[in-house]
Amino acid sequence: MNYINFKIAWRNIWRNKLRSSVVIAAVTVGLFGGLASTGVMKGMVMDLVENAIQSQVSHIQVHNEHFVENNEIEYLMEESSEILSKVRLEASVIGVSQRTKSFGMASTASKGLGVMINGVEPENEKTVTNIFEKINEGEYFESDKKNRIIISEKLAKKLNAKLKSKIVLTFQDYEGNLSGASFKVEAIYQTQNSTFDMMNVFVKKVDIDRLLMLPDHSSHEIAILLTNEEVTQATTERINKLIPNYLVEAWYDIDPYLNMSYSMTSFMLFIFMSIIMLALGFAIVNTMLMVVLERTKELGMIMAIGMNRFKVFKMIMWETTMLALVGGLFGILISWIFTWYYGDVGIDISIVGEGFATIGYSSVMYPVLEFIDYIEVVIMVMLTGIIASIFPTIRALKMKPAEATRAG
Amino acid sequence: MKTVIEIKNLQKTYTETAVEVKAVNGVSLIFEEGEFTAIVGPSGCGKTTLLNLLGGLDAPTSGQVIIDGIDISTLSSRKIIDFRMKNIGFVFQAYNLIPVLTAKENAEFIMQLQNKSKVERETRIAELFKAIGIEGKEDIRPSRLSGGQQQRVAVARALASKPKFILADEPTANLDSVATSELLDIMRKLNEEENITFIFATHDQRVIDRARRVVYLEDGVVTKDELKE
Repeated sequence: MNYINFKIAWRNIWRNKLRSSVVIAAVTVGLFGGLASTGVMKGMVMDLVENAIQSQVSHIQVHNEHFVENNEIEYLMEESSEILSKVRLEASVIGVSQRTKSFGMASTASKGLGVMINGVEPENEKTVTNIFEKINEGEYFESDKKNRIIISEKLAKKLNAKLKSKIVLTFQDYEGNLSGASFKVEAIYQTQNSTFDMMNVFVKKVDIDRLLMLPDHSSHEIAILLTNEEVTQATTERINKLIPNYLVEAWYDIDPYLNMSYSMTSFMLFIFMSIIMLALGFAIVNTMLMVVLERTKELGMIMAIGMNRFKVFKMIMWETTMLALVGGLFGILISWIFTWYYGDVGIDISIVGEGFATIGYSSVMYPVLEFIDYIEVVIMVMLTGIIASIFPTIRALKMKPAEATRAG
Repeated sequence: MKTVIEIKNLQKTYTETAVEVKAVNGVSLIFEEGEFTAIVGPSGCGKTTLLNLLGGLDAPTSGQVIIDGIDISTLSSRKIIDFRMKNIGFVFQAYNLIPVLTAKENAEFIMQLQNKSKVERETRIAELFKAIGIEGKEDIRPSRLSGGQQQRVAVARALASKPKFILADEPTANLDSVATSELLDIMRKLNEEENITFIFATHDQRVIDRARRVVYLEDGVVTKDELKE
């Protein structure tokens, strides 16, 4: 293999060590900045998605399609228990739970607030959500007593309620009458999504079904948790065939914002890195123009003795690309170390984390970068090198060998 | 004797400045195989321009440069580069070696461009380094060689691909008298023993003294063409 171009290009990089080091350092810092911030962002979003799946939406939900449109309680799934049995037979399903859902008002002596009342079967619910792990005070439906409620810490503060406080829930029953009942606070939970916390209270399904006067074996929602996220689409399709009369949706259809955030991170990496590489590209072009100017005689000579234009282009392109790649590899290495370390221990942003929590982000960030992200960056660095070499090469190729070889 | 180069009524006019300059003005010459020729004349007489035209580094305004029956002034820029690589060896005043390559790598550079095998390159370079007396300097970079040694490497590079002739533009201008004498001895030896054609553009009297043919140029016109032997 004839690798003379490669050899000259590589050695040329180290001819002016200081200048090359400055460019390499710029590429290293630029890439680290882009990759680290993308890693942090990606980690936050993956954490957001994971938390949302584990504590809110699950991987798949089943509804009466009219219920999805306007959340009216009459739109039930009447053979809910039967559906549960069918879904449990799916190999990728690790948890199924049915819920009753109704908008209502939660009131104490001091205040009243609108909430979503979630009627759950505690044991089944534990298989699909981790709310039972988020209990700060009290126990998750340990008592067999009627009318127990679990509220969030945030809501408790707003309602001025504590453990064992009484909260009155008012709602419209199945027949359209205004109804209500008093519930005793059995536990107080806190997830990392304060908006979710403010909106959701949990009661036993059997209690709320009785108060709403719902038919037996019915529910508004079935939540399904799977072995992993990758099987979501295939399992959704299979369950859809099992129960064609109801709406079966995956988490990304239920919460498009969540899905968009997930998809956006890859796009953001591309945008971030494109901007960084564009800026670095100008620095590289500038450096390579100086290089070409300094080597007028040398380039003239090699063209005079028989190196054709394509080979001259290749030589300068190799040099530019390798210069960018050396910096790129350093940048990737530092980013990998950063992601590896902080991906494990996390970055605590609790000082500024309260704002993030309102939209479901954790106060500890765990940066994540996937192998494909690194590959994408390497390709972008190489492309930058190739593109940045075009202008200097054009300058080099405009030289006339006869003049270049005699240049001072 | 076989004709290597024939130039017919060659003209090169520069029009970049306000005043039109006829650097080469109607030169017709024939160079034959095995010649050791010096093109001489005062500065600005057109020696280098003529050499550049012979080597296809510059295109004539009119006239022909015929090498092996091919008028190189009609070749496309792509073909002329290929033609130069295969047929012409160049030695420059300032050596023009590639500083990041070793002496050996510089010498075999053209052979690499021609995709010659490693064995072929090694054999040829060993042979050339022995012939020009720089054995043992193969792995040294140009910056650590003397001017004379660098110019010998440049000669080795010019000869590596076995060109039809060597064009040397003021090859001794940067050398001291000892280095000049040694370089000329080597070139003359290669000329005599291997029948390699050398054409110099020079105003160095030491080169003129060793040349077998001297072409005198003045204002772009051949004023005298002298065969010394």
